[in-house]
Amino acid sequence: MMLTALLLMVQVAAQDPRLERLDPETRSLVMSVVDSARAVGLPSEPIIQRALEGATKGAAGPRIAAAVRRLATDLGTARTALGQGTSAPELEAGVAALRAGASPEVLTRLRDARRPPLTMALAVLADLVASGVPADSASAVVLALAPNARDADLVEFRRAVERDISLGAPPGASASVRAANTGIRFGVTDAAQNPPQPPRPPSRP
Amino acid sequence: MRVLALIGLACGAAVATASGQITPGLDAGIAAVKYDGFLLSGAASLAPSVRWDHPRGRGFVSARGTYLRFESGNRSLDASMRASWFTTLARRWRGELGLGLGASDYASIAHFSHGIVDARVHVMDQDRGGWVATSFGRSSFGAGPRPVAVVAIGGWLLRADAAVFASFDRSFVGDTAYSDLRSSARLQRGVVLLEGTLGARIFSNGAGRGVYGEASATVPLGRNTALIVAGGRYPTDVITGSIAGRYVSAGFRLGASGIRKPLPTVRPRPAIPHSSSGSDGSGGALLPPTEARLEVAPGRSTDDPVKLTLYAAGAGVVEISGDFTDWKPIELRRSLTNGDAWEGMFRLSRGIHRINVRRDRGPWTAPAGTTRSADDFDGEVGVFLLP
Repeated sequence: MMLTALLLMVQVAAQDPRLERLDPETRSLVMSVVDSARAVGLPSEPIIQRALEGATKGAAGPRIAAAVRRLATDLGTARTALGQGTSAPELEAGVAALRAGASPEVLTRLRDARRPPLTMALAVLADLVASGVPADSASAVVLALAPNARDADLVEFRRAVERDISLGAPPGASASVRAANTGIRFGVTDAAQNPPQPPRPPSRP
Repeated sequence: MRVLALIGLACGAAVATASGQITPGLDAGIAAVKYDGFLLSGAASLAPSVRWDHPRGRGFVSARGTYLRFESGNRSLDASMRASWFTTLARRWRGELGLGLGASDYASIAHFSHGIVDARVHVMDQDRGGWVATSFGRSSFGAGPRPVAVVAIGGWLLRADAAVFASFDRSFVGDTAYSDLRSSARLQRGVVLLEGTLGARIFSNGAGRGVYGEASATVPLGRNTALIVAGGRYPTDVITGSIAGRYVSAGFRLGASGIRKPLPTVRPRPAIPHSSSGSDGSGGALLPPTEARLEVAPGRSTDDPVKLTLYAAGAGVVEISGDFTDWKPIELRRSLTNGDAWEGMFRLSRGIHRINVRRDRGPWTAPAGTTRSADDFDGEVGVFLLP
C-alpha cells in the first residue's frame, strides 16, 4: 500500500510540467528530493518552487539540487520543532525563521504559546531578524507577543520596527522600545510568567 | 570680539558680548508636541543653561539641560555641552576646534549619548563668510556605539538687522547616511526678534527624507526676561537621538537674551526615532535610479487578487518573478496615472512570499519594500508578508 502510494506520488512529480524547465539531470535530482519529502509527509511545493527559482536565475544544476536538498532538510527540522500537523505555509515560515537564526527550540515554544496558524508569527520573527534585530531579542519579543496578539498586531509591530530602522534606529533597540511600548518587559522570555499585553495604538510620549 | 561674534553667528551658536563672563539662563515653557508615531501630547519644560566666554574671545563653553514632563507622566532628560576654541590662521581665516557631548534619557528606555569632536575653517569678511567643517565621534543608544562622521559647508550673510545662513552637510552614523540642506534667517523688527529655519533632508539612507522648518518670535519683557513663541517641524537627529516631530510652544527666558539660538527652547527628546515611513510621510519614495520599490495591495478578501505595484523611475520594461508566478518572468504594465509605476494583479496566499524584479532585462534584484535575503543561488531575493 505504502509502496503504491509512493509510486503514485513519484508519478505525479514526474508529470509536473513545471519541472520541464530543468535539464533532465537536474530534474531527476530535484524529483528525487521531492519524492523523499513527500514520502515523509513534507510539502513538495516549496521544493519545486525553489528549483524553479534556480532555473529562472540560471543556476547550475548541482546548485539547484543542493538548494532543494537543503530546503527539504530545513522543512524537516521545522516540522520536528512545530509538530506533525503543521501546515505547509507554517513550515515555510518556520524555515524562514530558522534560516534567519531562530533556534528550533524557539519554534517549539512558539507553537506552545500560540494557537495555529503560526504563519504570521513565524514570518514576523524571520522578518525581524532579517531586518537586523538580534535573533534572541526577536525571539523574546515574538514569544512574549504570541499568546495574545492578533496577526495584524504582529504585522503592525514589525512595521513599526521597520520604520524605526529606516530612520536610523539600531534594530535591537527599536524592538526593545516597541516591545516596551506594548507593555512587554524586553528580554523576558518566559511568557507564562510575564503575561504580555497586545500592541497598543500609538500612545502619548 | 567682533570676529568671534561673526563666527558664533555663522555656527548658529550664541556668543555673549561681555568678555570673560559666566552667563546663566533659565527657559521655562509649555508645548504641544506631535512626534511621528505618537499621539499629540502636552509637555512642560525647564531648561537651565550656563555659558562661559574667554576674556579675549578665544573660545567658549556652554552647557544646557532640559527636563520635560509629558501629560502622560513620562519625563525626558537631556543634557548637552559644547566647547569651542578659535585661532587665527591668516588675516581672514580662522580655525576652530570643538567638542560636543550629550546624553538623553526618556522614560525607562535606554538612553542616547554622543561625543563629537569637530574642526572648522572659517573665512570671513565684515558682513559675510563661510566655513567648511568635519566632525568625528560616537553616538550610542543603549549598547553598541556607532561611529559618527559629518562633513559640512556653509555660508552666512549679515545686514543691519538681519542675518541669513545656509549650509549643506553629509552625516554618517553607523550604516545610516543622510544629507541636510539647511537655511536659516533672523530678523529684528523693533524689539521683536524673528527667527526661522527651512531645510530638506535628501540623499538619505535610513534617516528619512522631507522638508522641515521652524519659526520663533522673541519678545523682550524686561531687561532679563523674554517671551518666546515657536512652532514647526524638525527632522530626526540620528546623532543625538531626537526624533522627528511637530510642535508649538510658548515660554519665558530668564537671563541675558543677547543673540539667541535659532532653534526654540522646547524640543522633547525621546530616545529613538519613531516616525512614519519617512520623516515627511513620503514613505522614502526617493530611490536610486536603478532600483525599484514594491507596494502590495491585498484584495478585500483572501480570494481576491492582490495588486502589486513596482515603482521604477525611468524603466522601459519591468518584470517580476516569484513563487506566485512559478518563477516565470511576468512583464508588468505601466500605470495609466503614474509613468514610474508598473502594475499587475496576482493570486497570492497569505504568508511569506519570495519575489525578484528586473528592469530593462537587467539582473534580478530584490525590490525595496521587501526584506532582502540571500537566495540559494549567489543572489538576493525579496521576502514579503501578505497578512
